[in-house]
Amino acid sequence: MIATTVLAIGIGLMIIVLVRRDRMHGAYAVWWAFVAIAVMLLGLFPGLVDRIGRELGVIYPPMLILVVAICLLFLKVLTMDIERSRQETQLRHLAQRLAVLERLYEELKAGDEQ
Amino acid sequence: MLVVIPARNEQATIAGVASSVMKAHGWDVLVVNDASDDDTASRARAAGAGLLDLPISLGAWGAVQAGIRYASMKGYAYVVSMDADGQHDAATLKSLTRPVREDLADVCIGACVSRASRARRLAWSFFRHVASLPFADLTSGLRVYSRKTFDLVIGPGATLLDYQDVGVLALLQRAGMRIMEVNVPMAPRTSGKSRIFSSWGRVLSYLLQTMMLAMAKQPRMTNRTAVKSRRKGQ
Repeated sequence: MIATTVLAIGIGLMIIVLVRRDRMHGAYAVWWAFVAIAVMLLGLFPGLVDRIGRELGVIYPPMLILVVAICLLFLKVLTMDIERSRQETQLRHLAQRLAVLERLYEELKAGDEQ
Repeated sequence: MLVVIPARNEQATIAGVASSVMKAHGWDVLVVNDASDDDTASRARAAGAGLLDLPISLGAWGAVQAGIRYASMKGYAYVVSMDADGQHDAATLKSLTRPVREDLADVCIGACVSRASRARRLAWSFFRHVASLPFADLTSGLRVYSRKTFDLVIGPGATLLDYQDVGVLALLQRAGMRIMEVNVPMAPRTSGKSRIFSSWGRVLSYLLQTMMLAMAKQPRMTNRTAVKSRRKGQ
């Protein structure tokens, strides 16, 4: 249980360092801070999972952690791909606009020289 | 009229293709250099064509889109897209653009079914069915777009498409654009290879991507039954 708490503190510190060094965007940092807090709760209150598991009727409570963790990771990866697709659209749009503007600029310049 | 020629590493053919169009019709030609590593850009410029230099490679469709974006800003009424490898004959452009110039269609596809292998034809008929697209040549890079379609094909709905076939046609059809096909002869490739049909891995990824698109972009059920009944009525 101490190990889990230490892990949580480690994650939390890493997030703070990354944000401080401008390596992580604020919106993502909130997600990881949430993860750190969740791991911390599991470390500090080891009975928590057993109790929730019993309430939900889970036969082997440790599985609950795994199932919830996999679901959250799945969501995280899915939203990452959605975000990447959006960025890809923006990138292509920008590349095209840049090429068009460069061309228009050259046309203007050529017009001035004549 | 602007003729957009997307080109990636086509230094052997680009000058000939661009000048054949200019000589035959006197139309403006814009070569969109899709981040080539060779002399495509300078040879196109030397041939007297306009040049659009993409800073990163966007693929054939992304390059055509950039050309249409330019045409839209410059106020052109029509855009012809044409391959840079010499497959398409400049002499066919007159008859190809006629339906669009006479306002009988918003998009015109230069179709040549006989160029396709049996496997490719099978893939086409499959996509035709899944995406409810009643066109013979789904992948042809020879097309005419009228001004009416510009905003649609350069919009965000068309930007994530990696290939110019099923996704673009589905987008146009759903928006109610009139699409027509004109049969044109096409020469076998004189140089280079199809970018899509170059390796089995690529073919597979192309097929899977296009299948997903065809299924996801098909018209809603009501439209679909309408299309079917119209076909039966014919």
